[in-house]
Amino acid sequence: MIEVRLFATFREGRDKISYLEPQGYHTAAEIIHYFRIADDEVAICLINGRHSKLDSSVKDGDVIALFPPVGGG
Amino acid sequence: MRYERQILIKQVSEAGQKILANSNVCVIGSGGLASPVLTYLACAGVGTLSLIDYDTVTDSNLNRQFLYQEKDIGKPKVQIANEVLSAFNPEIIFHPIYQKIDKTNITEMIKDADVVIDCVDNVETRMIVNRACLQQNIPLVEGGVNGFYGFVFAIKQEYPCLECIGYGNTKLKPPTAALGAVVGVIGSLQAVECIKILLGLEGVLYGKLLNYDGLIGSFETVEIQKNDMCEAHLFVN
Ligand SMILES: [Zn+2]
Repeated sequence: MIEVRLFATFREGRDKISYLEPQGYHTAAEIIHYFRIADDEVAICLINGRHSKLDSSVKDGDVIALFPPVGGG
Repeated sequence: MRYERQILIKQVSEAGQKILANSNVCVIGSGGLASPVLTYLACAGVGTLSLIDYDTVTDSNLNRQFLYQEKDIGKPKVQIANEVLSAFNPEIIFHPIYQKIDKTNITEMIKDADVVIDCVDNVETRMIVNRACLQQNIPLVEGGVNGFYGFVFAIKQEYPCLECIGYGNTKLKPPTAALGAVVGVIGSLQAVECIKILLGLEGVLYGKLLNYDGLIGSFETVEIQKNDMCEAHLFVN
């Protein structure tokens, strides 16, 4: 399974943690589209804690963390 | 005695209190995060506090920036912070620096700091602060908010920085949504991390992105990794 953790406003109307069948997804972009998140809404995409571009490939066992912009003070 | 209660904490004790008194912390930005950060560091007896900001108080600050009052509108924030914090704890030395930070002046401004705390409200300044702290090998405590959400983590050379996790791609649309109580949570956590670093305690949030979700009342940590391609880190080595 691919574990997807959504943070901040990405959680609104979505589950904060989801487990997806790896067969259906090849890239981080395909995963965010599954959640109906647009590419330009993603500020940070981490795969297993590493900064990753949206065209990075994903595989069984990966943990993906997605963040919208957070940085006010 | 002013510090009686915190000296009772075994990780602080009399020895730690002396360390705090001899410490120098630089806070960048004097908005919603800086209000709790400065207040708690001043209360805790951190001996020298510098505050860098080039902003004046406006009425839209007052929902979260509790160092300022309505009578302060139009005045430089660093000047009011100086008055409030000096009254709070006359034992500390406070350096208000009324200046806009950029790549050319930051090195000099943070050079004496034992810890830098990022309390700014924009990505560009965060990136400048991130690089300067890495270059000078000064621990940096990051914190940011958006509405009911916020994050905190700590940075130093051996650990991931803002650029490592691709934070530079963040496109904030100002003004950012901010609830005073949430900014207070995140600023308070920044002050805690700063005190831990000054005291040399374990468990500092290096490599650990702590996320606060105020809507469901939860804290979750994401372990983050250094990026071999990070330009901020390459710049240092
Ligand atoms: Zn880095």
